[in-house]
Amino acid sequence: MNGRIRNLGVAFMVLYTVLFAQLNRVQFVDAEDYKDHEGNIRPQLRAFGQERGDIVTADGVIAAFSVPVEAGEIDYRRSYPTDELYAHVVGFQSLNQGAFGLEREYNDELAGSRLDQQFGSLKDLFVDRDTTGTVVMTLRDDVQRAAADALGERNGSVVAIDPATGDVLAMWTYPSFDPNLLSGLDGTAVNEAYRALLDDPDNPLLAKSFREVFFPGSTFKLVTAAAALDLGGITLTDPVWPETDRYEPVPAGSAIRNFAGSTSGGDLLLALQRSCNATFAEIGAEWLGPDAMVRTAEKFGFNADPAIDLPDAAGSRYPTDYGAFIAELDAYQPEDSDPLPNGDTPIHENSAVLAQTAIGQNDVKATPLHMAMVAAAIANDGQMMTPHVVDEVRDADGGVYERVEPSVWRTSLSPFAAGQLREAMVNVAVNGTARAMQVDGLEVGGKTGTAQLGTTPASSHAWVVGFAGLPGQAPEIAVAVIVEAQPGASEQTGGAVAAPIARAVIEAAFGSG
Amino acid sequence: MTAVERRPSARPRVASLRPRRVELGLIALIAIVVVSAYGLASLGESASVPADIGPFLAWMLGLFFFVHLAVRRFAANADPVLLPMALLLNGIGYVMIARLSEDVEDGSDLAGLQSVWTAVGIVAFVATLVFVPRIRMLAQYRYLLGVAGLGLLALPLLPIGVEINGARIWVSIGPVNFQPGEFAKIALAIFFASYLVDARELIKTRIELRDLAPIGAAWAASVGVMVLERDLGSSMLVFALFVVLMWVATERTLFLGLGAGLFMVGGVVAFRAFSHVERRIDGWLDPWADPQDGGFQIIQATYSMAEGGLTGTGLGRGEPDRVPFAETDFIFAAIGEEMGLAGTAAILMAFLIVIGSGLRIAIRATRPFEKLLAVGLTTLLGIQAFIIMGGVVRLIPLTGITLPFVSYGGSALVSNYVVLALLMRLSHEQRTRPNATEAVAPR
Repeated sequence: MNGRIRNLGVAFMVLYTVLFAQLNRVQFVDAEDYKDHEGNIRPQLRAFGQERGDIVTADGVIAAFSVPVEAGEIDYRRSYPTDELYAHVVGFQSLNQGAFGLEREYNDELAGSRLDQQFGSLKDLFVDRDTTGTVVMTLRDDVQRAAADALGERNGSVVAIDPATGDVLAMWTYPSFDPNLLSGLDGTAVNEAYRALLDDPDNPLLAKSFREVFFPGSTFKLVTAAAALDLGGITLTDPVWPETDRYEPVPAGSAIRNFAGSTSGGDLLLALQRSCNATFAEIGAEWLGPDAMVRTAEKFGFNADPAIDLPDAAGSRYPTDYGAFIAELDAYQPEDSDPLPNGDTPIHENSAVLAQTAIGQNDVKATPLHMAMVAAAIANDGQMMTPHVVDEVRDADGGVYERVEPSVWRTSLSPFAAGQLREAMVNVAVNGTARAMQVDGLEVGGKTGTAQLGTTPASSHAWVVGFAGLPGQAPEIAVAVIVEAQPGASEQTGGAVAAPIARAVIEAAFGSG
Repeated sequence: MTAVERRPSARPRVASLRPRRVELGLIALIAIVVVSAYGLASLGESASVPADIGPFLAWMLGLFFFVHLAVRRFAANADPVLLPMALLLNGIGYVMIARLSEDVEDGSDLAGLQSVWTAVGIVAFVATLVFVPRIRMLAQYRYLLGVAGLGLLALPLLPIGVEINGARIWVSIGPVNFQPGEFAKIALAIFFASYLVDARELIKTRIELRDLAPIGAAWAASVGVMVLERDLGSSMLVFALFVVLMWVATERTLFLGLGAGLFMVGGVVAFRAFSHVERRIDGWLDPWADPQDGGFQIIQATYSMAEGGLTGTGLGRGEPDRVPFAETDFIFAAIGEEMGLAGTAAILMAFLIVIGSGLRIAIRATRPFEKLLAVGLTTLLGIQAFIIMGGVVRLIPLTGITLPFVSYGGSALVSNYVVLALLMRLSHEQRTRPNATEAVAPR
């Protein structure tokens, strides 16, 4: 039996060695990963209960602050006096569910736990100095409120950006949630509130403004137009396309029709004004080709990691695979006709898909924030600034501890093309589908979109993107509005539903609301 | 092998006090460790030395000294490290429980109860040494113990049984709650050991169906426990005990394979048929698939231990109370959080030392019954510790069972001290008569 007993001893050694190895994995090798897990609230827990700095808007409205708690182990809890208005940006700090938004992204600065915050306090070692930081947002309370009021109780998002700096002036999604429900000290109540929010089919916890992607529909024609101006040898007035109600792709595929059988054509200026599907489909597939379209979309920040200073942002995407090259466009031309000016455009197996992407369909997806950035890049002479919701962090004495400097994220199009596109968008707001966003005394440019979702019953996302500024000066605001799943599928939907919301935001920004 | 043939001594060898001196030194060291930990936990939590550190020290030293004196009197030649290891585990466990009950606001004084249970356990330890002067006498009661073991195992199924946290393993008689399964395992270990002494020669030479009946019965009983009482941990423990003893007794590897096969079949059937087993398996394979419910405990335990890292947050400075059942099933995670990998590795080492001592006793034992009993008792401690530690670190599916000597729980503490006392008794007997043929009762 002794042999077996020794074997048993070896077996125990093996079992406990494996146990020790697994312990090393959990407590050492993978420990940092586990600490960073989204559901791991211990890092927040360390901060929960300490005093934290305020989170305030650019115009001084307090969106989050710490309230002293009288009894118990916990000294402070977070309070959000603006309720749901900034919930998706500010986030919340909860005992059980972790922290979200700026409360998570700027956890250390708010708690004053960064080494240099602590280090600054060494000189007054014997004074009980407050090391917490105050986070000042770029969001303006007046603009944010206007966005929320104008959208009302319709599911959708509104984003406003300062094109020159990338400052996010407003970022609102309906439905939102009350972060005070999640910052309480009663863990059971917090869990129940959280569970209820998770179970809500409209998903109020999700900041769809920057964490959800949608079909951009016709608003994407701005990107196609930028490619046409920069790479396609096209100007606002030349060429002039014949009137048609559809685009027949090459090689043959399903035709792309205009809305409600309307005819379209004319030059690029008119095509944008009337939002012609057939014309933009042809520009994408037969004037530009996959390479120019993909290159331009990526210059606008598609297929890139999102740039916003908030956690869990979604990236916009534009399809890149159009199959193998078949021939140049000339190969499809009847032999007796004149040579096409764009006869060397490469045609690929899936050029019909390319035609769809050129009008924002197929697999093109963008966040509302990103579409505001597209408009902002056009408004800012082609420079797409890095969007940010935090302006600066101040220390307890009011001094600036950290400032977010404006930076260029992408150079999206040439200054000349940007100027041409601004002119075309102003035209759309004067004569075209975006007339409802016009504001007296301002120069407003826009582009509507209606991303169809289905036909039974017909419903679509109503979009508008645009900019506004004093006449003759650089635009000071770029906006994007999406109202989700509106009944109907007419190109008018974006103009009728979304454009008035954009107008309200612009008016608020210029103080004329 | 020795050149000089030693003649059997006619009188009992005079007990050398060397093992006891070693033991006393280790106990003194452990007293320092435990009392320091107790003080540090309080300092870490409230930045003050606990008011009761004096009484605590007195109480602990009193218990330690009492048990040491009892061993000197009743098992003077026994292994010197078994008792100190148990006291170390018990002491660390007590410090964690005291530290955790600081955070409990519902008024239940787990630490106070645990200190009482520790005293009861130590009394049970001494009582076992006193009332089991010769280990051989246990074999006389084999069938009584066998029946008692099965009866205790099934006791919670009677109306006096109580279901707590989904497992029906408690019995409530008047004001007293206890887990009969904790005592059943000892009775079954003694029964299996003595039964196999008789049966092993038969089973060794030829295998007939009726010789396989006992293993079938054990399998059925363990699956029965698993199904009816929803107690996966105890069922694994009892089954492992039986398979290990069969294997060691008959020296036939066949039983190891057969046992593993049967357990897997039982496991698969249970997985298919019972949602609580399926939940445990799912929670083991991917706890993050259901982080709020099925995976909640294991995820919290993982975060807790990850927080501890190599050296821990420091006693009293972590948040181990965020893990459910931190005083019982998950006390290993609490230790991992506040004492780090260093602390959990120390616990592992302590159990390995206990296992090593236990198996050494088994090897040095001369009679089959004593050999098998030592193997069985060691397996109980070693496997039980492995089942719960492995479950907590997600090496194996989690099953609710206590970490011997460490977890909060009266029944477990008392029964494990009885196991320890039996091992001490075995050890004392061998060392007292290294080549004797007659057992000598200590006087």
